[in-house]
Formats: sequence, structure tokens, C-alpha cells
Amino acid sequence: MTDSILTTQNLTKEFGKLVAVDDVNLDIKRGEFRSLIGPNGAGKTTTFNLLTGALRPTRGTVTFNGEDVSSLPPHQRVRRGLGRSFQITNVFSGLTVRENVRLAAQAARHEGFTPVEEYLEQKDSFDDVNEHTDRVLERSGLLGRGEELADVLAYGDKRRLEIAIVLATDPEMVLLDEPTAGMSAEETRATMDLIDEVLSDRTLLLIEHDIDLVMRVSDRITVLHRGEILSEGSPEEVSEDPEVREAYFGGVEA
Amino acid sequence: MSVASAVAEQVLNGLVVGMVYVLLAAGLSIIFGVMDVINFAHGELFALGAYFAFAIAGPLGGAGFWVALVVAPLLVGVVGMGIERLTVKRLYGRDPLYHILLTFGLVLIINDLITSVWGKSAQPFPIPAVLDQPVALFGFNYSLYNYGIIIFGSVLAIATWLLLNRTRFGMIIRAGSEDREMVRNLGINIDRYYTLTFGFGAALAGVAGIVLGAYQNVSPTMGSSVIIPAFVIVVLGGLGSFRGAVVGGLFVGLVQTFARTYAPFLEGLIVFLLMIVVLVVRPKGLFGTNIGAGEHHDGALLHGAGGGVLSSATRAKIGYAAVGVLVVVPFFAELTGVTYSVTLLEDILIWALFALSLDLVLGYAGLVSLGHTLFYGVGAYASVLTLLHFSPSVFVALLVAVVVCAAIAWSVGYLSIRVSGVFFAMITLAFAELFYNAVFKFDFTGGSDGLFGVDVFYGLAGIGIDPREFEIPLGIMTIDGGIVQYYFLLVVVVGSYLLARRLIRAPFGSVLQAIRESEERASFVGYDVTAYKRRAFVVSGGLAGLAGGLFAANNGYVAPSFLHWVNSGEVIVMTVLGGMGTLYGPMIGAGVFVAAEDILSSYIDQWQLVIGVLFVLFVIFVPRGLVSLPQTIAEQPLFDSVVRDRAKVNDPEVERHD
Repeated sequence: MTDSILTTQNLTKEFGKLVAVDDVNLDIKRGEFRSLIGPNGAGKTTTFNLLTGALRPTRGTVTFNGEDVSSLPPHQRVRRGLGRSFQITNVFSGLTVRENVRLAAQAARHEGFTPVEEYLEQKDSFDDVNEHTDRVLERSGLLGRGEELADVLAYGDKRRLEIAIVLATDPEMVLLDEPTAGMSAEETRATMDLIDEVLSDRTLLLIEHDIDLVMRVSDRITVLHRGEILSEGSPEEVSEDPEVREAYFGGVEA
Repeated sequence: MSVASAVAEQVLNGLVVGMVYVLLAAGLSIIFGVMDVINFAHGELFALGAYFAFAIAGPLGGAGFWVALVVAPLLVGVVGMGIERLTVKRLYGRDPLYHILLTFGLVLIINDLITSVWGKSAQPFPIPAVLDQPVALFGFNYSLYNYGIIIFGSVLAIATWLLLNRTRFGMIIRAGSEDREMVRNLGINIDRYYTLTFGFGAALAGVAGIVLGAYQNVSPTMGSSVIIPAFVIVVLGGLGSFRGAVVGGLFVGLVQTFARTYAPFLEGLIVFLLMIVVLVVRPKGLFGTNIGAGEHHDGALLHGAGGGVLSSATRAKIGYAAVGVLVVVPFFAELTGVTYSVTLLEDILIWALFALSLDLVLGYAGLVSLGHTLFYGVGAYASVLTLLHFSPSVFVALLVAVVVCAAIAWSVGYLSIRVSGVFFAMITLAFAELFYNAVFKFDFTGGSDGLFGVDVFYGLAGIGIDPREFEIPLGIMTIDGGIVQYYFLLVVVVGSYLLARRLIRAPFGSVLQAIRESEERASFVGYDVTAYKRRAFVVSGGLAGLAGGLFAANNGYVAPSFLHWVNSGEVIVMTVLGGMGTLYGPMIGAGVFVAAEDILSSYIDQWQLVIGVLFVLFVIFVPRGLVSLPQTIAEQPLFDSVVRDRAKVNDPEVERHD
């Protein structure tokens, strides 16, 4: 159990009388591609928000890289290497592609900035940030597009930029919230290929309700049902679990 | 009179004022709740009610008051509906800032119309003879009219509650304030209800105006004197909450009355202190729901755009040329004897710096500071006090102004930056009003007179220039202290601009722009959004303090009017007029505004009206400001797509943000 990157202990979130997430214990290994699935209302999005820091748990803890991050705000979790992508492409649309990525690279600069650098130096005068930006642009296939406004990118390229921003924050682990929601089969495949291409060396946690997709890409799957973990295991184990079939597939598969 | 009956009388006085507030705040709150419109003109509609009644009741004599009580609010309601149809309606879906700006323009228009029809001085508005007599109740005499206000106000409040909760009209309005799209999807023409709601809110304000006008008198300033307390009430009670408006109105009426009698020092302060405490502890107000908590914005702030038919190189050249002109103006003024132009330029430069400071938070950090004159005023007071008591050096005085204002900005920011949107606007307004009211109370600030007779020394430790003794004859003209003062100002303002540009081009500024684009994303990229906003607010407060300090040092005085909320409104107007989100835009806006005001006011009496109308047109048709005109021109079909593309691709990064 030494190689866990993210664990939760008794993670619980209550909204008044509603228990959205109930005593969830996750243990995600470094390098793993984990998926969190479940029917609507299972508590997927609440769990996601508890992990990113958008919500604070009612009870329980979130541990990242051995550190209790339960009460840290989102930006500090990102700085510790816990990145996230957005369901809807949420880029800095009035800025250029390059500036979008550069901002993320700037945030991830390990040594930070001295006050003089932070307030008085030109933002693009930092070689390390610029090189990091170039590397990310290249890896995400946006190298020639740097000077275009994010606003005018085609949908697929926006998606690419979205992933590039996440990559530029230098995450050890990336939380992906239904990255293919609302996409056609073709777009879904392209997006998953991109994630595979760009983020395959990071630990990934995918929140998703498209079962076929999850079965194809995950190392392990956790099934949530009514806020609780119903089942956990490899895609084969989960798909053969009678409880999962009962609750999730709801007889359709049977 | 016994203690008990004295207290009872205070309670009644408090309820009378409270009822007026309830009527005023209810309309304001309903309009906000339903349409997200912060109606600064509500106070003027209130005054309009009083004046309409005054005009109707006068000629009719005895029964005139009763006729006026019915007819005048209806007229105000019609005016309100007209305002909604012609102006407010065009701005639905834009950020609430634009409603603030629009209604600020309407304030100027309505107020100028009132003074041009009815004059500038207050006039008595007699209450009907039937009500003008004391009644003995609870063991003491009290005016029947005042009892009448309390009863009438209660009846009207209950009727409004019934209207909102027991009728189809009210149901649609309440549904619309929850989710306007849903109501539209149900096939209801919500736009018609918006017009009615605006009219209804205006009519309620009209009633309040009549009631208070007859209680005191009618005057053109009655609107501006109630609008800020009315906002306090609406925010205290919770934006959009009718119950909050009622409880808040009565509460504020009582607190004000009791403070006046039992703790005069706190009068004028306590209400704002309360508001600040409530907002810090419960950002949504006492009865607030999610409505208008700033979490949902229909539209983003519209920033000035560069590019268009002017390239960034052209713009830079225009900038150099402008500075060049500013450098040589004093010589021409001296030669031609038109020294007045130098004074005007000094005003423009100071306001340009003030507008620049506001834009750092408004245009770059997306924070609508509605109380920015707090820093301008405090900077002026701090520098005058330094000059009077510590050092005659203008350098020391300005340094103190900047440091004090930056410190206050840090504290205000610490308390209020976590509350977002409209609430941030209101809390900054409350802080500014708190300081405005406070300077009247203290001896060291000179009370209502302010502080006069300050001399400055342009140097340190005795080495430098004393403008009163400075004179260098230079051919046909003389370089005197006035010219030294002008160039010093020019250097400070141009220097501040260059500093601001540096900040914006540094990593710090790039993060502000990221926050402006998407706060959520900036935070998930790893930036502490709140900390960055607070730092921008500190820089902005310091620069605004510098502007105030410069004005005070140049003119040798400071007065409470430096802290008046109208300044905060004007500086927002300048910023948007020029084009926020660019550094030079607000400075251009300041130049145009100050010059227009100066020229118009010397030729026509109704200059406020003209400025108001121009401004309303501007907010509706050119919301991106003067600096965007080249871009707007380039987007005309007249120009081919090549020009458009070039504008979009090449310019924005370099140009749009500094």
C-alpha cells in the first residue's frame, strides 16, 4: 500500500438531510487509470468536487501524496500536483493559445517568483516558463497555433487546449470530469485518444457514466450507488458483479 | 415627559422614517430581485413623486393632497415604465455594472429636470389640515400625520405582500426572479411583466417621496439623500427579499432615530457599520437567498478592444504625441494668457490617474468598486494632514497618502473580496459612506468645512522648490510656481501610467487577465484568485490615494465632498466611457468627461442633463468605450475581412491589455 497517490478515508458529504457521498474509501495507485462510475445521483460529481476542493467534506479526509489535503482550497491542491480538466471547455478565451498555456506553466513554476520578477519583469522573459510552454504546446499538437485567440479555435482544438492547460500545470494526477459529455462517438474517440496520447504517464481518475467507454480505458473501476461504493475491481470483475448488474445495468443487460 | 414616553416617541419617529424606507426599499428590492437591475435612479423617482404631488396639490387646495397621493405615484409609475422600455430593457443580459452606469446617467437627467422645473431650493409642502394636529395617545401628544404614515405604510406594505404572494402577477414575478428562462419557456411574456414591475417599484418610490416630502419638505437633493440608506436596507435585508426590505427598512429607521438622540456621534455611521458587519458575517443579507449573490452573471463585463483601424504602433505614436502636447501646453498658455487651460489639464490629469487606478480593479480584476472615492478622499485628507502637521514636502505628503490608502485597501479587501459581484460593490460603497460621514464628526479633519490653507514645498529637507517664491524669467515669459506644479503632476501621472503598464505586462498582470477571463479556471490552474484580487485592490487604492493627494496638494485644501459617492460614480463613468480593461482608455475617458463637463457647464445651465443623456446613449450603444471605436469601425461591412482578421489575430495580446 506504499504506492498510493490518492486515498480517501470515510469521505462523507451531507447536504442537509441528503447524504450525497457516504463513507467512501478510495485508494488510487500511482500510474493507475481509475474510473468512477455510477447512475445519475450516485454522488460522482460531489465526490469529484470533494477531491478538487470545490467542496469541503462533512466528515472524512482526502490524502494526496501522503498529505491530508481535506481543508486545502483548490489552487493549493493544484500546486501539489492534483490537476483537473473541465467538463465544458473552460479556457481563457480572450487570450492567445500560447498565453493560455503559459499562464498554467507560470503557475507551475517550482521556484516561484521574487517580488521584482512578479510585479516588474516582462511576463515572457522567463526562459524556463517559455520552454515549458513550448514543450506542452508541442506535445498537445498546438505548436503552430500559439498566436491564435483561444476564442476562435474549432471545438476539437479547444479540447486540445483544455488538456494542454492541465498538462502545463505539471500534475502528477489528473481528475477528468466526464470529458466526453455531449460528444458524438467520433469526438469521444478523438478525445480519449488525446488523453491517452498526452496524459498517459499520469495517474488519472475519470468520472463518467458512459459504461462502454469506461470498460475500454480503465485499469480499475469504482462503482458508486447512492453515495456508497457498490463495487470495485478490474473492468471484468465489475461487469460480472451481480450487484452492479442489478443496480446499474438495471436489467437492461440481463 | 417620562423616560418611557420619550422612548415611545422615538420609537414612533423611527417607525415613521422606517415606513418611508420600507416603501422605497421594497421597490428597489423587487426591481433587483426580478430583473437584476441595481436602480440608482430610484432616489430620483422618489423625489419625482414628491414634486409631482407638490405640483398637483398646490393649485387644488384642500383636497389636493388626497388627489396627489393617488395621481402622483401613478405618474411616477408611468415614468418608470417609460424608463424601462426605452433604456433598461436594452441592457438585460449584461453585467449588473451596466445597470449601475445607466441609472447613474438617469440620476443626472431626472435631477437636472427637477431643478430646472422647480428650482434648486427646498420648498414647503403642507400636509392636509385634517392630519395636521396632535393626538394624545399613550400619554403624550403626537402628530396625527405621523400616525397616518405608519398606518398607511403598513397597509401598503401588506397590500404589496399580498400582491406578490396571492396574485398571478406576483407569482409570475417571483417565478421570474428564480428562473427567468423557465418562465419564458412556459409561454409567458416576461418582458411585459418587467415593464410593469419597474413601474410598480417606481410608483412605490413615488408614494414614499410624497409621504416624506409632506413630513419634511421637497428639495432636489431628497433623492440623493435617501438612495444610499435605501441600498443599505436592501443589502441588509437581502437583495430581492421583500421581507428583508420591510424588516431592514423599519430597523434602519429605528436605529437612525435612536442614534440621533442617544448617540449622536454614531449617527450616519452606525447604519454603514451594521451593513459591513452583516455582509461580512452573512454575505447574502439577513433574509437573502441565492438571488444576485453574484454567482450567476448573465453577461460579462465588456472591455475596450484595441486593434481595428488603428494598429498598436499608431496608438503608441498617438500616446507620445499626447504627452508631447501636454508638455508644451503651459508655454502656449503663458504666451496667449489662457492659463485657464492649464488648470483644466491639471484636473484632467488627476482624474485620469484616478480612473486608471479604478480600472486596475474594474477592468483587470473584474471587481466593481462602487466606493473608490474612499481612497481618493482619504488620500487627500492624509496628504493635507501631513502637510499641516508633519512636513511641508509634497513628496512626503504623497507618500503618506499612498501608504495609508494601500493599507486601507488591504483591510477593506481582506474583509470584502470574498463576497462577490453586487455585494462587493455594495460593501465598498458602505465603506466609502462610512468615511464620508466620519470626517464630519472629527475636529482633526475639520468637520464639514474640511481643511484649508495648505502650502507645499517641492523638495525634501529644505532642498527644493518653493512654488510661491519660484520665478525664472525666460525671454518673453516667466517660469513660475504654477508651472512647476503642472510639470510635477504630469511626471507623476505619466510615471504612474508606466508603472501600471509594467505591472500589467508582468506575471502579476497576466494572472489578473486570466482571472478576468475565467476565475474558476485561474484557480484550477493554481492561482490564489482572492489573493491576486486583493493585491490589485491594494495597488489600485494606493494610486487612487495618490490622485486624491495630488488634487489636495495642488489646490491647498480638502473637504468632505472628496468622499462623496458621486465621485465614485463619475470615475466609473469615465472608465467605461474610455474603455475599461485598457490602461489608456480610462485616461482618455477622464479627459473627455472633465473637458465636456467644464465646457458644457460654462455655456448651458442644463449641462448635467446633456451629460446624462450622452452617457445613457453611450452605455447602450458603445459599451466598450471610446478606445473601441476604431475596432467598431473596422467591423463595419465596409471593411473587408482581411482587416477584421488582422485586428483579431495580431493585436489583442499586445494592445488590448495595456
